[in-house]
Parts: sequence; C-alpha cells; structure tokens
Amino acid sequence: MLVLEGVSRRFGTKLAVDAISLEFGGGGFVGVIGRSGAGKSTLLRMINRLVEPSAGRILHEGVDVTALKGAELRAWRARCAMIFQQFNLVGRLDVLTNVLMGRLNKVSTARAVLKLWSDDDKALALAALEQFGIANIAAQRAESLSGGQQQRVAIARALVQEPDLILADEPVASLDPRNTRVVMDALRRVNKHFGISVVCNLHSLDLAREYCDRLVGIAHGRLVFDDVPAALTDSIARELYGLEADDVIEAPAAAPLPAGVAVAAA
Amino acid sequence: MTGPLRHSALADRGGLERRHPRIFRPPPGPRVATVALIVGAVGLAICAMWWLEFSFDRIGSGLVQLGYFLQLMVPPSHGGKLSHYLGALAETLAIAFLGTLLAAVLALPAGVLAAKNVVANRILHFFIRRSLDTVRGVDTLIWALIFVSAVGLGPFAGMLAIAAADFGAFGKLFSEAIENSDRKPIEGVVASGGGELHAVRFGVLPQVFPVMLSQVLYYIESNTRSATIIGIVGAGGIGLHLAEEIRTLEWDRVAFLVLMILVTVAVIDFISARLRFAIIGRRVAAPA
Repeated sequence: MLVLEGVSRRFGTKLAVDAISLEFGGGGFVGVIGRSGAGKSTLLRMINRLVEPSAGRILHEGVDVTALKGAELRAWRARCAMIFQQFNLVGRLDVLTNVLMGRLNKVSTARAVLKLWSDDDKALALAALEQFGIANIAAQRAESLSGGQQQRVAIARALVQEPDLILADEPVASLDPRNTRVVMDALRRVNKHFGISVVCNLHSLDLAREYCDRLVGIAHGRLVFDDVPAALTDSIARELYGLEADDVIEAPAAAPLPAGVAVAAA
Repeated sequence: MTGPLRHSALADRGGLERRHPRIFRPPPGPRVATVALIVGAVGLAICAMWWLEFSFDRIGSGLVQLGYFLQLMVPPSHGGKLSHYLGALAETLAIAFLGTLLAAVLALPAGVLAAKNVVANRILHFFIRRSLDTVRGVDTLIWALIFVSAVGLGPFAGMLAIAAADFGAFGKLFSEAIENSDRKPIEGVVASGGGELHAVRFGVLPQVFPVMLSQVLYYIESNTRSATIIGIVGAGGIGLHLAEEIRTLEWDRVAFLVLMILVTVAVIDFISARLRFAIIGRRVAAPA
C-alpha cells in the first residue's frame, strides 16, 4: 500500500502539485487524468523520487519513501518501476541489455559493468520479452525499433525489476492508435497476469475509462476526482479538462475502439 | 521474491535456451577481441616504457630535486617587477583572446564546408578536411617560431600562431558538431521551402551553437596557458618573463608568475561558465 500525505511540489513560483493525499496499491490499475500541465507527471515522478517533493510524505508499507537515501533509495526505485512517454531506452544498446537494466539493483556492480549477466537473469529478460511477443528482436539495437516495440521493451525492463508497482507516465502519448492498443494491453497484462499495481498517467479519457478500475483526476495540481470510472460524468470531465474537454471526450475519432468495449466503457 | 515471471522463466529455462541459443551461448568473437585489444594496449605501453628508458629511480631523484625547488619557491615574490609582470599578463590575455576569436571566426565557414551532411561534394570535402588536418598537424609552438621569423618578435606573432593552430582545431570540432546534429529540424526547414543556407542558419546553427560556444570559451582558457609557452620563444607575453626567471633560477619569482597565471585561468573559467549559462540559458526541467 502506497500512501501520499499532502504531497506538494513547487517549481519556482508555480505550484505544480498542491497538497495531494492519496492511497494506491493492492493490485489495481489506477488512471491519473487531467489536462496537460495539470501536475500528473510531477506526481508520478515524485513517487519514484525523480523529483523531490517540496512538502508532504510518501509512505510505502509504512516506510517513509521521501526520506530514503543511497542504496535504500535505489532499492525503492527498483520496486516502483517507471515507464516514460519517450521510452527512455539506451538507443545504442541492444534490446536484451536494455531489459537487463531492470536487474541492475540486484546484480553486483562489477558483474553489471562487465555485462556478465547470469543465465537466470537472461532467462528472466527473455521471458519478459516473450510475454509481449518481441523476444525475436533481443539482439537488435533499441534505436532501430518502432515506438510500439520500444515501449514494450521498456515494459519488459520494468517487469524484470520484479516491482510492486509500475508507474507509467503518458506511456502511449507518442504512439499511433494501433501501438497505443498494443502497449495498453501489455500494461493490462502486467496488471492482471502478474498482479502488479499500475498507476498510469493518461491524457485520453476514453483509454482511461476502458483500461482503469479507478480514476484520479488532477486539475491545477489539486485532486478533484477519485472514484471508479463509471462515476466520472461528462460535467466532471468538462471541469477537469476545461477547454480541452471536447478533444478528449470525442477522442474515439483518433483511436477507434472495438464496438463492444466502447459501449461498455461509455 | 518469486513472482509469476520468475516462476515461468525458471520453469521454461530449457525452452528459452533452445529458442534463443545465441543469447545463452554467445559467439566468443567480440569478447575475445576486447580482451585481445586490452592485452595488446598494455603490451604496447610496456614496450614504449622500456624504449623510452622509463625509470622509477630517476622519478625518485627528480622528485627530490623538485622538492628542493619548491623550498626555494616559498615565499613567492615579484622582486619589484610587479608592473612588468602585470603588463605582460595583459599581453598574454590579449594574445589568447584575439587569437582564439580570429580562429573561431575563420573556422566557422570552414567547419560548415567540412561537414559531410552539409557539403555533398566529396572532392571539396576531402580538400577542406585535409587542409584543416595539415594546419592542425603543426603545433602552436611551431607556428609561433614560424611567425616570429615572418613578422618579427612580439605579441602579434603570438596571436597569429594561436589563430593558425586553432583554426585547424576549431574547423574539425565544428564540422563534427555539425555532423552530429539532428537531421529532423533541417528537414523541417527544407520542407518549408528554405534553401541550403537557410537550412544551415536555422536547422543546424541553433543546435550546434552551444557546443561551439563552450569549445571557444574553453580554448580561450586553454590558450591563456598556451600563450605563456609561446612567449618563451619570443612571441610576447608573460612566458618571456617565466622563461627568463627559470633560466636565472629565481624560483620565488617563478612561483609568483605561476600563481598569477593560475589565478587568471581560474577567473577566466569562472567568467566563461557564467557567460555560457547566460547565452545558452539554463534548461528548466519542469515536467508537465
């Protein structure tokens, strides 16, 4: 269980995240929604401590994550895997090595630097790649792959961290509609099949309604909605997204949904 | 920690190894080549040390001698020649600054022409590259000796020496920065109907400008040190005094001069860091 207690973050004079209190975890698929610049990324990055909170605490199973340092901080980061909009792979390294980056926290530094991975770790990385049907490209350079393939490699990297939690920061914002499906399905598989909690920033409301079992709405850095997707009415969505509301509510034009799912989600 | 992934990976270990044999038993080629390269480099270094009569004994006795000089250096003293020294230091700074500036201005067009992604003409490209190599192949000190003979003793020869040597260096560095630039902005400019000059001005230069700027600023600092050396061969500046005091074994004055140069270089370093940030602008890492 991950508990956020009045977490804030200030950039200069701008309050990006304003005293948010939340509870995550227990194997759910939580969508964080809101317009661009609402503070969604900052919130996720604070959980992984890529951004330091200006105020408030983040507790994981009773441990104050915001106070961790050095090896303990690195161990925490390994437990809450991060997935980025731009994939953040090392383009010049092959796919297998990129996935094995997820093992760095468990392997001795000397072995890792010399790339002496154990066969168990290699098996784990390949099994993760096979989950998403991309084990055949294990020897290719990451920069030669399509966006959808790169994001699946990034998810495989997250998976071999054997994390408690996966934080996905706009994972499909750089992808075309077909790859959006493939990647969201991969995240759903991680959640349902492996029982790892997923917290996912999404711009598209339709994707959020379809994939998430709980939605958290953020506007101007403040928490304005926290409930099941069915409880998110159009009027609340308009409040959340302001002028962008029509774009996100009518998103199906950009990402056509299978008919049955669209009806069920709406 | 045994999650479902680990469980299935270990259960299917045989299958995984069968399906991906090259990953579990990679061909030894690359590893062997790396090890061979390291062994070769170490071997070569040992040969070179033997050939150059590398001797720990001589390092030891040299250190004793250096310790003796160090004693003579304390306390540093200008021996009543402070105004001479300050004037010479200003001259050195002027040599470094003007020389670097001249080199950078001349190297900009040369660097653009030497970049493969800008100039497609292979003959022109080859000609410019080799010219830059030739200029660079002659060290600043040699250029200083040449210009001292050509235009006479003094700081003008020093400035020309630095400009000539760094023209070659900048030409190479600039052209490589341009070759490493991202192709996408260039495509954007060309697709909007821009010509080749537009593509360089708006597609390439904004990308490479920060790299060039930091290189030029570093060279100004580095040339302040070089300018002391070329002063020794008569090309003006503080190097002349330094050579003189070393020759007459006035170690306290040598120490004073060295300290002056150290402080100057530190000040330049400080100013150039400020300047670089002021011009490039700090990248604000504020995510959405």
